[in-house]
Amino acid sequence: MRYRSQRVAYPYFVVALLLFGLQMVFGLLSAAKYLGPDPLIAILPFDVTKVIHTNLLLVWVITGFMGAAYYVVPEESRVELYSVRLAYVQLVIWTAMGVTAVVGYVFGWSAGNKLLEQPFPLKIVIVIVMLMFLYNLFMTIRAGGRLTTTEGVLVAGLACTALLYLPALLEFDNYTVTIFYRWWTVHLWVEGVWEMIQGGLLAYLLIRLSGADREVMEKWLYVIVGLTFISGILGTAHHYYWIGVPRYWLVFGGFFSALEPLSFFAMAMYAYYAMRRSGLAHPNTMALHWTIGSAVFSALGAGILGLAHTWPAVNKWTHGTLITPMHGHMAFFGAYVMIVLGMITYALPGLTGGQESRETAAGSWAFWLQVAGMFGMTMAFAAAGLTQTYLERILGIGYLDTQLKLQVHFLMLVATGTLYVLGVALFLWDFFFLAGRPSAGREEAGDLASARSAS
Amino acid sequence: MTKRGTRLFFVIGTLASALIFVGLTIDSHRQIPKLTNSAAIDASVIAGKQVWHRKNCTNCHTLLGEGAYYAPDLTQIAAQRGDAYLREFLKDPAKFYSEQRDGRLMPNQNLTDQQIADVIAFLTWVGRIDTQGWPPRPILVRGSAVPGANVGAPTLQPASNDPVELGRVLFNATPPGCAACHSVAPGVNIVGPTLAGIASTAEARIKASDYHGGAKDAAGYIHESIVNPNAYVLTGPTYSAGGRSLMPPDYAQTLKPEQVDRIVAYLLSLK
Repeated sequence: MRYRSQRVAYPYFVVALLLFGLQMVFGLLSAAKYLGPDPLIAILPFDVTKVIHTNLLLVWVITGFMGAAYYVVPEESRVELYSVRLAYVQLVIWTAMGVTAVVGYVFGWSAGNKLLEQPFPLKIVIVIVMLMFLYNLFMTIRAGGRLTTTEGVLVAGLACTALLYLPALLEFDNYTVTIFYRWWTVHLWVEGVWEMIQGGLLAYLLIRLSGADREVMEKWLYVIVGLTFISGILGTAHHYYWIGVPRYWLVFGGFFSALEPLSFFAMAMYAYYAMRRSGLAHPNTMALHWTIGSAVFSALGAGILGLAHTWPAVNKWTHGTLITPMHGHMAFFGAYVMIVLGMITYALPGLTGGQESRETAAGSWAFWLQVAGMFGMTMAFAAAGLTQTYLERILGIGYLDTQLKLQVHFLMLVATGTLYVLGVALFLWDFFFLAGRPSAGREEAGDLASARSAS
Repeated sequence: MTKRGTRLFFVIGTLASALIFVGLTIDSHRQIPKLTNSAAIDASVIAGKQVWHRKNCTNCHTLLGEGAYYAPDLTQIAAQRGDAYLREFLKDPAKFYSEQRDGRLMPNQNLTDQQIADVIAFLTWVGRIDTQGWPPRPILVRGSAVPGANVGAPTLQPASNDPVELGRVLFNATPPGCAACHSVAPGVNIVGPTLAGIASTAEARIKASDYHGGAKDAAGYIHESIVNPNAYVLTGPTYSAGGRSLMPPDYAQTLKPEQVDRIVAYLLSLK
């Protein structure tokens, strides 16, 4: 850590991890409900636990991105953050929005559009917060007068995230059109501009951790994000197969989805070669684990498991089965959870004490339990999804009867999910109780805005 | 390749992809009205869509295969179940399903009659969208398209004492073995003809000129077909031979009158 204002990342990480913990509670609850009967059906039915589970994921991962950006941008632009105060105000509004959304869902306040369930007033708050965030980053970069490719890709990804949220504000009378534009936000986030964010953070971490040559890393970063968009933009087509749009989307979806793993493999190779070239000399070994883990797990979860069901002839049978959460859980974990945890693990020693590295048994167990748990959950979803596809879709056995035959896989889901949650709990314990806190008194920050008002 | 070259690859690749994507989007908008039959989107369909969203339906069900995976896909539910059944179901799901038996139960959404009518209108409209042939075979809520495939199904116990429910269980039991020959899935003819939509079929058939039986309404026709299969004989390779139905002729003796009534009640719900 080189700039005092980078310390603002810490409260962002605190909020992100608290919401991450809460997300786990609702995830486990949702999984347990598959075993039925559900004793909580009257107060927290499945639709409520599920919408909270997915929305908390989006909110905490974006909070993590924000914290990461506030950590990375001053360092890359070699200047203090434009305004620490603005960053704090932003965090307070953002957190209030997230908490309001969760409480609202419990009381049935939902816009009911999958993953974009935030009611309209909260959507407006999200837009305002994103504008505050981007303004702060923009002013910082302008003051520094220096924009590296790494932070450029990161910030462009964040700006596009805000831009692509705008279609979510529109309502359409035609359900097909609603779905069509829903994917402009959801797909182009997770298989487009968030990969820019992941790529930017990956490049930042690899350059810091392995000491790989910046010129080389940034050169290949362009190739990765180029591949992401060439495959990802037209890859949106794989969500358009059966929703009432023209048939040609099947052709585009099949072809460009098949290309989508390329960018993830490129990222995995990128990490591998960075390590090969420059060795594994950095003392923060857990940050290295999460960084390499992100590259590998996103190649597996988003790349291979995504490809497993995007071919139209396959998707025709698997569409809307548990095959989708099989891919979704590992993809999100690999691409976005791991990269944020990697950033947190990398930044934490500097944020709390100034030394470069800290390693604890809890931190190591947190990593391996999450990896093992997520692998197990993916297998459980895969077994359930394949069985469901054959029994329900091919053999024509009713949905409810099929679900009763999948109970053993749901037991495995709950068991491996519990392992995963243990890993998360250890990560939180390590962060909150073992790592120490930033010492008080060093908080008032020499950011640009306050320096200007002081002078 | 230099950094400049890779940046060019990124910029040109992204712009070209985005351009094609926007072009396809514009063309899709041109075709969506016809593919989705958007002329049929009236105030009721729009209001039903609002109910669908506000009640958070998509976080348990799938529609057009999209949503959550905790409850059945509803793309074709309007055609499969018909208005009358869906109205009753939405008023009180517990009448048709039991959490103990099925493991899951839809919580009563406390919809008004108007909301129920709207959401059924919405689902009816969705069911007519051109989905490029998806799903390739009907997705059933329960039971099975092929008899015997569903080994040990607990759905063979009734969830309530509703005559329709009791009739459904009896229909699937052996004896009388109705489900061994008749599917309730559209287009699935096992030995006897499919009974999907039999209530509507019966309505039309008693009005046909070649019908000489004694039934005056759909219930009467179905009742007659069970106790006297030869009153009206449907021609089909495995349905009849020499002008005589191949269905067992003795249900009037082997079934109690109230059992026949229950089966009639169940089949009448298939519209």
